[in-house]
Amino acid sequence: MQSNVLELINIDRRSTVNYSQQVKENMKALILDRTLYYKTDLPTQDELAAHLNVSVKVINEAYEQLVQERYIKIKNGTYRVSYIELTNYFFDRNTAIYDAVIALGLTPSIECLSKKVVTLDSETMERMGFSDSPDGKFFYINRLYYGDNQPIIILENYLPLHVFPGIEFNFKGHEPLNDYIFAHYGFKAALSKRVTKAVNLSQKIAGLLNERTNAASIQSTNKIYDAKGRMIDYGRSFSISSYYFQALITKAERDKYTKEN
Amino acid sequence: MMDYIHINKLITKSIYKQIADSITEAIDKGELQYNDKLPTEKEICQLFSISQTVVKKAYEQLILDGKIRRIKGKGTYVTNRDVIKTDLHSFYNFEIMNQENESKITKETIILDRSNKDISSIRELKLKNDEKYYLIVNLFKSKHNPILLQRIYLPMKYYKKLDTLFDSNFDIFQLIEHTYHYDFTHMHSSFSPINASKADSLLLNIEADDALYLVRTKMIDSKDNVICYICNYYPGEFTEFEVTVHAI
Repeated sequence: MQSNVLELINIDRRSTVNYSQQVKENMKALILDRTLYYKTDLPTQDELAAHLNVSVKVINEAYEQLVQERYIKIKNGTYRVSYIELTNYFFDRNTAIYDAVIALGLTPSIECLSKKVVTLDSETMERMGFSDSPDGKFFYINRLYYGDNQPIIILENYLPLHVFPGIEFNFKGHEPLNDYIFAHYGFKAALSKRVTKAVNLSQKIAGLLNERTNAASIQSTNKIYDAKGRMIDYGRSFSISSYYFQALITKAERDKYTKEN
Repeated sequence: MMDYIHINKLITKSIYKQIADSITEAIDKGELQYNDKLPTEKEICQLFSISQTVVKKAYEQLILDGKIRRIKGKGTYVTNRDVIKTDLHSFYNFEIMNQENESKITKETIILDRSNKDISSIRELKLKNDEKYYLIVNLFKSKHNPILLQRIYLPMKYYKKLDTLFDSNFDIFQLIEHTYHYDFTHMHSSFSPINASKADSLLLNIEADDALYLVRTKMIDSKDNVICYICNYYPGEFTEFEVTVHAI
C-alpha cells in the first residue's frame, strides 16, 4: 500500500463532526480535486484505522458511504477510486469520445452492441431535427465506450443513409466514428447542439455501464451538423462521468452576455 | 375518477393515441396536476374493454413526452413541472433565466450560518481547518415548484461583517464586486450527476435518489483567491442545459 495515500487523510478530534463522516468527506475532497485519481487503490480499512487510531467500523462506514455515492468501488477486496471526469475540451469542443478517453490517460476501446438500418417515421425525424431525408432510412449504431476496459459512456447514433451511402455494409462497429466518416466521406462534423440533463439509469443501461439501477447519469442528446449546416448525425448518450468543462467564464464574457440579453 | 380519458372506438384514430391525447389535454387544462396519480394500465383496460398493450403504448408515449413518470412500486404520476432550459454559458445568471422562461422565479434564503464543517468546501476555498465560512442556502422556485437548491460558501476572512450587511435579495455578483470590491476575474465549473439525498429531495419536492445535476462553481479573483464556492443542485427531471459546441 502506498503510504502517501494514508498521509493525506487526517481527522480533527475536536470537531463535532463524527469520525466516519470526516474520513468520508476527506476522501471525497481528495477525489474531487484529483489528488486521488481514477483507479487509485485506497488503503485497507485496517491500515487506515490503525493510521488514524480509530475503530475499523469508522472506516467501514466511511467507505460504504463513498460506495453509495459512487466515488469508489470494491474490486477483488480492494477499494478503488471510480469517479471520473471527462476533460473540459470534450464538452466545449466537438471532440470524439474516443479522444476524450485517451485524454484521460486511459486506453480506449469500443464495443458495438447493435448496428442496423432503421426506417423512421416523419414525426420521429422531426423530433430529432432531421428535415430532409428522402426515404427515412438511417444507419443505427449503439456502442459502449470503454477506458481501460471500464465502461464510460453508451452512445447511440442515427446516421442518414443518403448522407452516408454504403455505411451499413462497410462500417464494422468498433472504429472511431469521426475518423471513419472523414476517411470515407471526406467531411467532418463542424457543429454540435447538445442538450444535457441528469437522469436515473434504467436497469438495462445501468447493467451495461456497471452501475446500480437508478444511479444518476448525464443524458446528452446531440444534433450534429457539417460545415454546410446539414444535419449529419443524431446522437444520444448516457454517462456516469462528470463533465469538467467551461474552465473559464471570464468577467468580460459574462458582462458581454448580460449586455446582449 | 378517470373522466378525463375519452375513447371513441368508431373513428380511425388509434386508441393509444386517443388515450395519450386525452391525458395530455387534461394536463394542459390543469384538470390533472403535478404529482396526481394516474389509473393503472389494468384499470383503464377493464373500464374501456381494451387490451393492456394499447394502454401500455399510450403510457410509454406519455413518458417519452415527459408528461408522466413511473415510480417503482408506487404507480404512475403526472410530471408536468416546467422544464427550465438554460444555456450553459449563462447558467449562473437567474435574471436571464427569468426572461427566457417568462415565469417568475422567486428566491428564499432558508439557512444563513457560520461553519467549518464541510470538508470539501474548506478544501475548495483553500481554507485552513480553523477558518470558517459563511453558508447561505437558497431555494429558487418557479410557480411554487423548487427548481434549484443553492449552497453558497463565502470565507469569513473575505467577507467581514456579512451578517450585518446580509440581505436575502442580494445578488452574488453585486455582493462580491460592489459591496466587497473584489476583482472577480473568472469562474470555474464542473457538472456531475448525483442521486438526491433524503434531505435534498424534501427541499426540492422530488423523490429521494432522483437524479440531480450538481454544478460546482468556484469564483476566482485577480489575486488568485477563491472568493466564493457555490454548489447548485438542479432536479434532473426539470432542468436541461443547452450548449453549442464547435469542432476544432
